[in-house]
Amino acid sequence: MRIILFLFTMVFFLSCYAAEDIYHFSSTEDQTRFAMLTSELRCLVCQNQNIAESNAPLAGDLRQQIFQQIQTGHSNQEIVDFLVDRYGNFILYRPPFNAGTIGLWFLPFILLFSGISYLVYYIRKKR
Amino acid sequence: MLPELGNFAIILALFFAIVQIAGPFVRVSGLQYTAVFSQFFFLAFAMLCLIFCFINNDVTVLFVRDHSHELLPLIYRIGASWGGHEGSLLLWCLILSGWTAFFLIFSLMKKNIPNELLTKIIMVLGYVSTGFILFLFSTSNPFKRDFPTEPISGNDLTPILQDPGLIFHPPMLYLGYVGFAIAFAFAVAVLLEGRLEKNWAHACRPWVIMPWSFLSCGIVLGSWWAYRELGWGGWWFWDPVENASLLPWLAATGLLHSLIVCEKREAFKGWTLMLAIITFALCFLGTFLVRSGVIVSVHAFANDPDRGVYLLGFMAIVIGSALVCYLLRIKHFYQPPKFQLFSRETFLLLNSVVLISAVATIVIGTLYPIVLEALNLEKISVGEPYFNTVFVPIMLPALFFMGLAPHVSWGQQTVITLWKKMRWTLFFSLLITALFPIVTGFEFHVLTSLGIFLGIWIIFATLQLFFQMKNKSILPVSAMMIAHIGIAILVLGMTLNKSYSVERQVKMLPGESVNLAGYQFTLNNIHEMNGPNYQSIAALFNVQNNRGKEFSVTSEQRIYLSHNQAMSKAGILVNMWRDLYLALGTSFSDGAWSVRIYYKPFVRWIWCGGFMLLLGGFLSLITFLQKKGERHEAI
Amino acid sequence: MRLFKLIRVGLPMMIFLGVMLLLWRGLTLHPAQIPSPLINKPAPQYRLPNLLNKKMMTERDLIGHVTLLNVWASWCEACAEEQSTLVAISQNKNFQIIGLDYKDNLADAKKWLQQYGNPYEVIAVDQTGNSAIDWGVYGTPETFVIDKKGIIRYKYIGPISMEVWEDTLRPVIEKLS
Repeated sequence: MRIILFLFTMVFFLSCYAAEDIYHFSSTEDQTRFAMLTSELRCLVCQNQNIAESNAPLAGDLRQQIFQQIQTGHSNQEIVDFLVDRYGNFILYRPPFNAGTIGLWFLPFILLFSGISYLVYYIRKKR
Repeated sequence: MLPELGNFAIILALFFAIVQIAGPFVRVSGLQYTAVFSQFFFLAFAMLCLIFCFINNDVTVLFVRDHSHELLPLIYRIGASWGGHEGSLLLWCLILSGWTAFFLIFSLMKKNIPNELLTKIIMVLGYVSTGFILFLFSTSNPFKRDFPTEPISGNDLTPILQDPGLIFHPPMLYLGYVGFAIAFAFAVAVLLEGRLEKNWAHACRPWVIMPWSFLSCGIVLGSWWAYRELGWGGWWFWDPVENASLLPWLAATGLLHSLIVCEKREAFKGWTLMLAIITFALCFLGTFLVRSGVIVSVHAFANDPDRGVYLLGFMAIVIGSALVCYLLRIKHFYQPPKFQLFSRETFLLLNSVVLISAVATIVIGTLYPIVLEALNLEKISVGEPYFNTVFVPIMLPALFFMGLAPHVSWGQQTVITLWKKMRWTLFFSLLITALFPIVTGFEFHVLTSLGIFLGIWIIFATLQLFFQMKNKSILPVSAMMIAHIGIAILVLGMTLNKSYSVERQVKMLPGESVNLAGYQFTLNNIHEMNGPNYQSIAALFNVQNNRGKEFSVTSEQRIYLSHNQAMSKAGILVNMWRDLYLALGTSFSDGAWSVRIYYKPFVRWIWCGGFMLLLGGFLSLITFLQKKGERHEAI
Repeated sequence: MRLFKLIRVGLPMMIFLGVMLLLWRGLTLHPAQIPSPLINKPAPQYRLPNLLNKKMMTERDLIGHVTLLNVWASWCEACAEEQSTLVAISQNKNFQIIGLDYKDNLADAKKWLQQYGNPYEVIAVDQTGNSAIDWGVYGTPETFVIDKKGIIRYKYIGPISMEVWEDTLRPVIEKLS
């Protein structure tokens, strides 16, 4: 019961001592967008971190870039396109769906499906 | 002197590893066994030599020079001996020979494996061991020396490794990883023999369960380490190296269950053998990925292409020959299924199919960028969003069946009786899932509810098993129950943590405060601190919960003297329900600091679930040791 | 039936061989180098001050010359490594070398040029790093080869040594001029 009501009842006290958010958004929706976008983009400097988490200066610049674009009303797709135009699909942790990545997206499910089908076939054939 | 002794010990170990292979061909009694123990002795000796080189900070040894420093605390010097490629490979070899020796003693004492088969198993292990020791000696010798003309100091251990995690995580992980060599050798030996002893599966089981427990624990320890050390409170990143450790775990989980059917029902023999080979092949693949440089990872060792070529060739020989054995001999093991479609056997087999699909998903995700690059197509990244969309849906049904399968009878079962047996459990699991957001005030999400439902369903269904046992002995199933509940707790922890974590990134001056998730965080002061080999800027925070209780926590930004690189050391307040995680970032010109504050609910449940897997594994071992003549009753 | 059996038994071997081949191929690839999507596209627009005389420069300065655009910074250790090569090849008048000073302290940058030499025709200063984002820069030093029409033709990541110059960059430039 201790955990009750902690969350989503966040009240930001606006006392004079309150620290300011580094990326201050006017709506929680924009804030979620920012969190989502930065976490799904790969940092190109230390290549196994996302932009949200990386301490590399470039990641900071890109966070700032994304922040500004959200503030100026760009859509997620526009922001992603902006980055892909400059850095290529490598920057996307969610690979785009295209001719080259069909195998990536479908093969696992095809394997699961054929595995289960074979299993059923195997058990039933010699009954 | 010590490095030369260590080097010599490695050569002797290599010699004994070769003798170990010769076992079945040279009929000298006890020769092979002596070789096993001598090999272990000499590798242990070599490891000790390396550790002493580190303790003495002998910079003439290149490996020590690259990973140690005169200021490095003693405990990390010991850990540093496996903190790089060469040393960790020595640890690999040592653990392999340790497992072999342990297996040999155990089998000789229990006399549950016929001599002929035992000799063959040891021989196969000899092959693996020879290959690795040769690899160690020829391409990655940790004792390679170089005498500098002027005094120099070492390059020091990477700051990120200077953490208690380094002491426990790699040995634990390797105990798991390498241990699967025994199950692999078992499978190959059985294939070579061409027939299956009746109690084969029973004799093999502890050699899957023990490494599996260690690997579970090792993975969780690694996750705990990354959580504390990397500074943003994540616990799983789908990094290729993490995937490399998850792959054998998934396959071994399949193997574990398949062995049960093999033992109790004498079915799936061929499939079980295949799984044993796959599991070890994945260990090999992991070793290759980490040490060859084909992938980019935060955890990968510095690499050189020769090592990749050697490992790949060796993997081709070992796994390739095992597969050839499989191809040639598998027809001797084929048996038509003797069970209905709706039976526990089917569910266990389904478990294998799902787990192997999961393995395939991760392999595809990890290797696909290489495929595209090899074809000169575009360069892509496969990360967390991919695995969340593909891997998670594949695993969800497996979790549901995890609660269900133990209630399904062997041989056959009707849907009606199962429904009658499980309907209340299902109902209460659904009820609690539905009540959860209402009672706790957490926001409702469909996927979160699904995760909660699966966790609660597994717990309830497993407990139901316990209450329906009546007069039967509890011990044999307790291991399974604890492991299954462990998974449930893991699932609950992961789901709730993923769904309800919140964070704020703020700019703070001393005296300022911030509210997050019902806590008030105040930055008290910023002061400087000195560690043994680093200087740090420490921020002292006061945290107050909404009932006025206060805690204090320090978060640091460390600069290691030898690396001149800042590293964030997060301050974490822990309890069972949530972690509060504070990471100090960079400073601003006005004296303010950027601070990331995270509220991470249920994160302890993840580690907790992981340790339950270890516990379950050990319980299962105890059961195994207790059961001597009882086994046939069980069947 | 036969086919099924064949698949069941032979599949693991086939998958294994496939993965082995792939990994073998993988050993010769460079996973950390990311190809630029800007190749064969016009150079991005920019408007940056010259380090030495504060005059504004734009992408139109690229037109009419074959250009080697080198992204560097005084804090970048690998940049110092390649400077001697750049100075040496700047004698060649078939192309111009333009510097892009990336997120740097101007005083440090000037001192650095005195220390290591200045091979650049002009140096554009990008203190915010925004222009570098347009160029898709992710680590210094990076070098772009741009043709006379202002189209990016090649990108080299990492310090340029004499070998790199002779083996990779020089042929590209000669083809363009």
